[in-house]
Amino acid sequence: MRFPFSVTCAALLLAASSAATAGELKGMVKVIGMKHSADAVVYIEAIAGRTFPAPTAHVKMDQKNLVFLPHVLPVLQGTTVDFVNSDAVLHNVFSPDKCCEQFNLGSWPQGQSRSYAFKSRCAATLLCKVHPEMEGFVLVLPTPWFAVSDRTGAYSIKDLPDGAYTVKVWHPKIKKEVTQPVTVAGVTSADFALKK
Amino acid sequence: MEAWRKQHRLVLPVLLLFVPLLIGVVNSARAIPAFSRKYQTSCTTCHYAFPQLNAFGKAFRNNGYRYPGGDENFRKEEPVSLGSEAYKQVWPDAIWPSDIPGTSPLAVHAIGQYEMKFHQPDSVARSVFEFPGAVEILYAGTLGDKFSFFGEVAVETEGGAVETGFPFRLELNQRPGFNVVLGSFVVDPTPGHRSLIPTEFNVSMLESRNGWMLHEEKPGLELWGAGNGSGGRGGWKYQAGVMEGQGGDAGRDKDVFAQVTYKVGGLGELGGTEGQASQTSAFYRDNSVTVGGFVSSGRVGADLFADKEDLTVVAGTLDAWYERAILNATAMSMNSRIGGTPDRKSLAWYAQGQYVIYPWLIGLARYESTDEDTDDAVDPQTTLIPAVAGMVRANVKLTLQYVRPISDYDARKADEERVVAKLDFSL
Repeated sequence: MRFPFSVTCAALLLAASSAATAGELKGMVKVIGMKHSADAVVYIEAIAGRTFPAPTAHVKMDQKNLVFLPHVLPVLQGTTVDFVNSDAVLHNVFSPDKCCEQFNLGSWPQGQSRSYAFKSRCAATLLCKVHPEMEGFVLVLPTPWFAVSDRTGAYSIKDLPDGAYTVKVWHPKIKKEVTQPVTVAGVTSADFALKK
Repeated sequence: MEAWRKQHRLVLPVLLLFVPLLIGVVNSARAIPAFSRKYQTSCTTCHYAFPQLNAFGKAFRNNGYRYPGGDENFRKEEPVSLGSEAYKQVWPDAIWPSDIPGTSPLAVHAIGQYEMKFHQPDSVARSVFEFPGAVEILYAGTLGDKFSFFGEVAVETEGGAVETGFPFRLELNQRPGFNVVLGSFVVDPTPGHRSLIPTEFNVSMLESRNGWMLHEEKPGLELWGAGNGSGGRGGWKYQAGVMEGQGGDAGRDKDVFAQVTYKVGGLGELGGTEGQASQTSAFYRDNSVTVGGFVSSGRVGADLFADKEDLTVVAGTLDAWYERAILNATAMSMNSRIGGTPDRKSLAWYAQGQYVIYPWLIGLARYESTDEDTDDAVDPQTTLIPAVAGMVRANVKLTLQYVRPISDYDARKADEERVVAKLDFSL
């Protein structure tokens, strides 16, 4: 049985495309010197010649029981984050970091939210002027491929096209990021170690 | 150090032996790191600068030492159950269930100070270090959903002597509008009740002819309640009760008192977030005005050693907060009646301004006037007290104040003009 050339090309392109979006980078992050390995962000560094439009969907960060949830929130550059107050007490959200204009959103009632659009790459520390012990982080990244490790250190970046990438690992309590080249082909494993 | 230990090895046992014999000489504090541990939150959640409460601290207090909107959501430690909730269905055939704090409700408050008087004879030391000045073991918490407690064991050095006290109180927190206190407490109309600086408010220290003053902690029974104002902002609070007069149970007669305050604007007296949206926020801000009235009546010296003195005290208060500034003032009159002598009317008032220069640095100036007898020809004694309070950490405070008598300056300066540096820390 013979197929027309155009059909063959289309089938090959579809197969290639399918393979490209099915990739996954997963593995373990070991955070040495910490009680657990949670909150490390594994992400794909900027890719030359590629930009990604700002997402239209907002992302949520909660303030609940005097804690920022999630504690670490990675987002694509341009993402708007809605800060929700779920407590029956007043909160505040501000950042001392210049990369996010040192924004201060004030205070608002329970169940309501205020928003901020993170336009620039940034590791923004979030604080509350009412509860000094509260601390959260928004990590603004150049690509949509990132993941946060769990307490065991496990992470998984799904839907990552095959290719050669620069992978970085960031942690809120460790100043120096880990950088490592990784070639992704289908489901690929890569482990990282950070030292406090 | 070893020699010091040997020399003072009997001090602690002696103190422990005599503590039960001495009551009410040390006033209660409000800084309670036990709550910081319970909720895993900073001192500044409740304190403008300890011991002065901020708006949330007052709301926490007015909720019976509980977080508004569901205390169990904010606790970071689980209490120890003293009975399943289901036992409420079994009562009276079982003890009503309750709980106790899951970890120790203890905290320590240590105080030391350096004082320098400007005008002293050569034979008298002009300056003195008082380290330690006082140590307080504080305990506070909740017992189930209806009771709370607050107490301390305090040891204080005063003029070379050691004084001790161990006031405590148990509260029934039936609902925010109705609470019953049984125990020892200070009745004091001044906003916040506690001075941020070493010198206490003159109205609290105004003495009657038999030595009665508000500042003393006394045992008694108090009813109090609080509620939010319209829109969840501001609100009301009342306190009324009966307590032993000066000298504890030596007197047959009791003091009675009542106080009412009303707050306009700011955080609700019971907390909450309704109507609280703002562009700026900080633990020391609470744009509001609170006014209050206070009345107390009692009899002092009803024993063999002094003539009976009937007292009536009336006071009015103002407490205005705006952004970084606070202005508060209290005026109090005391009418003293002793049979066979003319009545004595006293008038004391103060006005105090505070400004948050940085969240850790507060400037303060207080002007006070005390006229012990308004009918005599003696001018009121007036004093100016500029001060700064620095929060070295949220639980470490360094205060520097200068006390400058103004009226009758030459006569008073020898005793009263001084600089005091005070260090407080709690843990």
